[in-house]
Amino acid sequence: MSDAFDLENPTEEHRLLRNTLRDFVRQVVEPQADEHDRSGVMNKALLKRVGDLGLLGVTIPADDGGAGMDAVAAALVHHELSKSDPGFALAYLAHAMLFVNNFYWASNADQRERYLHKVLSGEWVGGMGMTEPGTGTDVLAMKTTARRVDGGYVLRGHKALITNAPDGDVFIVYARLDDQVTTFVVERGFKGFSTPDKTRKMGMRASMLGELVFDDCFVPSANLLGHEGKGVGNMMRNLEIERLTLAAMSLGIADRCLEVMVKYAVERQSFGKPLVEHGQIQRYIAESYAKTEAARALVYTVARKVSPDTRNRLGTDASKLFAAPVGKEVADAAMQVLGGWGYCDEYKIERFYRDAKLLEIGGGTLESHQKNITKELARLVSG
Amino acid sequence: MKILVPLKRVADPDNANKVKIPASGEKIDTTGLEPKPNPFDEYALEAALRLTENGQTPKVRAGEVIVVTFGPKECDTTLRAALATGADRAIRVDTTDDKLDGDLVARALKAIVDREKPDVVVMGKQAVDGDSNQVAQLLAEYLDWPQATFAATVHEEDGALLVGREVDGGVITLRVKLPAVVSVDLRIVAPTSVYSTKTARTFKYNDGVRFAALPAIMAAKKKPLVELKLADLTADVAPKIVYNAFQAPPARKAGIKVKDVADLVLHLKDEAKVL
Ligand SMILES: Cc1cc2nc3c(=O)[nH]c(=O)nc-3n(C[C@H](O)[C@H](O)[C@H](O)COP(=O)(O)OP(=O)(O)OC[C@H]3O[C@@H](n4cnc5c(N)ncnc54)[C@H](O)[C@@H]3O)c2cc1C
Repeated sequence: MSDAFDLENPTEEHRLLRNTLRDFVRQVVEPQADEHDRSGVMNKALLKRVGDLGLLGVTIPADDGGAGMDAVAAALVHHELSKSDPGFALAYLAHAMLFVNNFYWASNADQRERYLHKVLSGEWVGGMGMTEPGTGTDVLAMKTTARRVDGGYVLRGHKALITNAPDGDVFIVYARLDDQVTTFVVERGFKGFSTPDKTRKMGMRASMLGELVFDDCFVPSANLLGHEGKGVGNMMRNLEIERLTLAAMSLGIADRCLEVMVKYAVERQSFGKPLVEHGQIQRYIAESYAKTEAARALVYTVARKVSPDTRNRLGTDASKLFAAPVGKEVADAAMQVLGGWGYCDEYKIERFYRDAKLLEIGGGTLESHQKNITKELARLVSG
Repeated sequence: MKILVPLKRVADPDNANKVKIPASGEKIDTTGLEPKPNPFDEYALEAALRLTENGQTPKVRAGEVIVVTFGPKECDTTLRAALATGADRAIRVDTTDDKLDGDLVARALKAIVDREKPDVVVMGKQAVDGDSNQVAQLLAEYLDWPQATFAATVHEEDGALLVGREVDGGVITLRVKLPAVVSVDLRIVAPTSVYSTKTARTFKYNDGVRFAALPAIMAAKKKPLVELKLADLTADVAPKIVYNAFQAPPARKAGIKVKDVADLVLHLKDEAKVL
């Protein structure tokens, strides 16, 4: 491909990062993926290894121990990881985007001093709690509360469907203080804080899902993140890079499933000719290819316009709204092309198929993106 | 320790079966194959990095690793990747592969060694495109330095390297005094193959070559990469080997089915003549 305009690798650093990741994913990530899908346990050692490579702080400035790269690099990492292990990529996302990135841009010097090194190295696993048993899409209706006490706050409530909850060490938690959403940093070990058993799920099993329970949990004042009542700002800013990177995961799933189905269709014979020569199979392959390329173009175009200081609600909602079904549909097409062998686990398509569905739900359902995009477009018209 | 590592960019070796030879036979066509660093050279770089560190604290560099390649501007990416992996400086000699042979590369490398004065040149045993396996030996000869080829292990000693080479029936261990030329084989990147004097012999590396860390990728663009002309290094830039024509090997003939073991032995004896 000509380098003149390489959408996926705008600079030489992006290209080097992608090449390094491809080698790393092939040699280190791929061989462990099935095992962790089956055990349903997150690979903490792999997260640490990813930390050694500086990937837990992709978007954190170099002066503070990160890599100082942009949202394109963040998308790239999720994209490449998801070609082998979307489940691990989700655990990585919850750690590196939902905790580390969110934390960094909202924290003060003292908080960075206390937490940043531990989460950049992977010594501690992070997560973020927004969703509750009774409120998901309608997130601002959350019921978890915080009240002021001497030296800090007391949290009461319950978060659910939280990635990394069962094995995480530190969480960003949103709660209502005087009815205003406020952000806190909660460590495992804080009195009154617990994480019950993990929640079983269809796919993304290399990441663990669970609940955060705050039973009059004391949080010291030093762990208020940002200002009282200003949680919605952090939440919205971070949701953008979350949607973008989730969309990039879907692209990774589509890339992998497309590769597998083409190879299989070239090699597999049916009615005296390879599958690729059957018209109906061609439709699965060609449409999958076109959709995947369209998702790539959208995800990486939007990625260039996502940063901590700019807002890109429309672009990030659109990229996830479009890319999430692409991952799922391409996985489905691959399974169809592989027939019974796609339904069995040898070619791994069934794992990608299970994982792909999450992208239509987590980090915002398709319906929430439809709602947000339309609301924003209408606002632009009516002012 | 100061180490020079020559690196060559080759067409993706995993897809070597896709190279074509046009009817004219004038060249080998690798269009469409992704350029990659020669794997043996990556192993050489890994060995050089292990020799210039304490394996426990690889971020603290002890020594200098200089990488050099012969090729056009596009090869800068290969050098930047090496810098991101841990090399300190890079040199690109501007030329193209069709203007080179192993002897010319060895003579040009000698000129670079004369300037840089490394303690050791660590290089891949061969490039996987031409598979010539000549440059290390020629370079050692031109430099009049000791050489140890196909190293599977290298242990640093005071002023020398203890090099293990796998041979039929065992391992030969050579002690080469520095400065020296060492060419490496693929076993050199096994977890316990290379030890500097700083690394505890109980330490085990990850198998294979290391991955560039992201902050190092960002820092690599600030590391020096200089471009030299081939003519600056050697007055005689004419290759000694001239390729006249290329020809694909004949396609493999279909196999035959043998009746039984006796029949097999007969064929091995009379036709294959291996018994
Ligand atoms: C594997 C996994 C990992 C997750 N990780 C995290 C995490 O780390 N942190 C975290 O905070 N959350 C996490 N979540 C929660 C996730 O963000 C929510 O599941 C998601 O926001 C949807 O909320 P809900 O499940 O409560 O569905 P609901 O909001 O109850 O929605 C149910 C259905 O109704 C639709 N709907 C709801 N409101 C509207 C409306 N106004 N208009 C039209 N349709 C509507 C939805 O689109 C959906 O189809 C995770 C979820 C999963 C499955």
